Amino acid sequence: MRRLIAGLTTGAFLLVATACGSSGGDSSSGSTSSGGVTTVKVGLIPIVDVAPLYLGEKKGFYEKQGLKLSPTLASGGAAIVPAVASGQYQFGFSNVFSLMVAQTNGVSLKAISNGAASTGVQGKDFGATVVKKGSPIKTMKDLEGKKVAVNTLKNINELAVRESVTKAGGDPDKVKFVELPFDQMPAALDKGQVDAAMAVEPALTTMKEQGAQEIASPLVDMASKLTVAMYFTSTQYAQKNPEIVKKFQKATAESLAYADAHPDEVRQIVTTYTQVPASVLAKVTLPKWPAEANRASIETQAKLGEQYGFFKKSPDLDALLP
Amino acid sequence: MRGTNAALGAAGLAAFLALGEAVPRLGLVKEAYFPPTSRIASALGDELADGGFWSALGDTLTGWAIGLAIAVGAGVVVGVLVSIVPYLREATASTIEFLRPIPSVALIPLAVLLYGTELKSVLLLVVYASFWQVLIQTLYGVQDVDPVAEETARSYGLGTWARVRHVLWPTALPYVMTGVRLAAAVALILAITAELVIGAPGLGQEIAVAQTSQAVPEMYALIVVAGLLGLLINVGARAVERRALAWHQSVRGEVAV
Repeated sequence: MRRLIAGLTTGAFLLVATACGSSGGDSSSGSTSSGGVTTVKVGLIPIVDVAPLYLGEKKGFYEKQGLKLSPTLASGGAAIVPAVASGQYQFGFSNVFSLMVAQTNGVSLKAISNGAASTGVQGKDFGATVVKKGSPIKTMKDLEGKKVAVNTLKNINELAVRESVTKAGGDPDKVKFVELPFDQMPAALDKGQVDAAMAVEPALTTMKEQGAQEIASPLVDMASKLTVAMYFTSTQYAQKNPEIVKKFQKATAESLAYADAHPDEVRQIVTTYTQVPASVLAKVTLPKWPAEANRASIETQAKLGEQYGFFKKSPDLDALLP
Repeated sequence: MRGTNAALGAAGLAAFLALGEAVPRLGLVKEAYFPPTSRIASALGDELADGGFWSALGDTLTGWAIGLAIAVGAGVVVGVLVSIVPYLREATASTIEFLRPIPSVALIPLAVLLYGTELKSVLLLVVYASFWQVLIQTLYGVQDVDPVAEETARSYGLGTWARVRHVLWPTALPYVMTGVRLAAAVALILAITAELVIGAPGLGQEIAVAQTSQAVPEMYALIVVAGLLGLLINVGARAVERRALAWHQSVRGEVAV
């Protein structure tokens, strides 16, 4: 009897194994369409910046174009870029600098719609360099010889801090950059593990609540209306499905404009896909959502990226941007 | 005796929870980064009332169960085959020892490239990590077969299949069950890790979202759930082990002569 059970169990395991194995073939990389509606998978990050897409889906802007969004939340662009490049997702959200880095590494990507932009207002941006309450650091120049936390080394935030330090008359090479996820910055700053942090919302609000002082808005220092992030697809998908891309662009432009004009609805929809506490959400600085990307600001990022040696070779903006 | 053990276990847990309440309350760590037990408990209560939490829990358990089933099935079959086919063990030994220490997490870029952020990515990591646990235990189990019993079975004219069933399998089963128990824990760790890092739906993703949202009590509540899940899985695996090995001396508690 025991052997029978053991045998049956093994048999069941094998059945499950084969069942799972056989389902491997149907993971079609293309978008599915039925009844005139095309479902597209979009890789997003659970942050405020992507609210326009959720809002646009809710308002029916995508439906109007015959699209249905299937958003998937990834923990960061590092998971989204390969998934879009391999066709697992049709579209993805990433900061522009990462797209340029990916391109210089030989990944064929096409940015298609604007994602999020800095507010362009000093001291009122969604990203800022902050120091602990009572810190002797008052300006970006004071960061020389200090430890500054950025979410990813050799990426947009380090670039912005470097440029901001340069503009303040300091030497960015004397700043010690350490990599730390945004959500861990409040505790690290509080415990003095870092002297300053380049943070974005909602971590920025958390830190300000604890008395942290803002010393600069590096994203604003870099370019007045900086395009921070964009929606993108693979070059291959863009070539094969120009119609779907065009529809996505139209609906996204409409969603961005709507989000920009309705901040209260944005704060409301954010609660549906994140867990940002209501008290924090009420205070976060929202990014700007212009319908078009600011090409000049992206050129600035490319130029500075080369200047500080972040790229292996020059990014080709004509191929990357819409 | 059993009652005493349970009481001691409960007392230990209560002391641990009290410590978790006291440390932030006394200001040893900031409440903002490590909320007291009561605050985590209330966040946990909110989670339990949320439908999204249950579907995430279901996703995690699905990934765990399917991954574990594949790993156990494949581990046992491969382990037995490698052991009974002549020369195969010698031929594969170095390859197995090369592949086994590769951390499953290092395969994340590959998983994302192949399967995006779906269940299949999670399965790849879960199966890779837990497969070796079962395989190695099976290999050792098969090696432990008593040569006298094996020769006796041969001289009674038992065929290969009959010997696998009546001699090899009963010897290997205690080892296999240990492998399954280890694999069950590893599979859960990897399922949650994969969700956390890749962003596949499940508890891990919920933890990641809570983390990026600065929702600290909610994050700890979900971590507590992960811990409880591990505890339940361990208890369950031990129960299965006891049942499957009820005939074995290690469980029967008497020495066979």
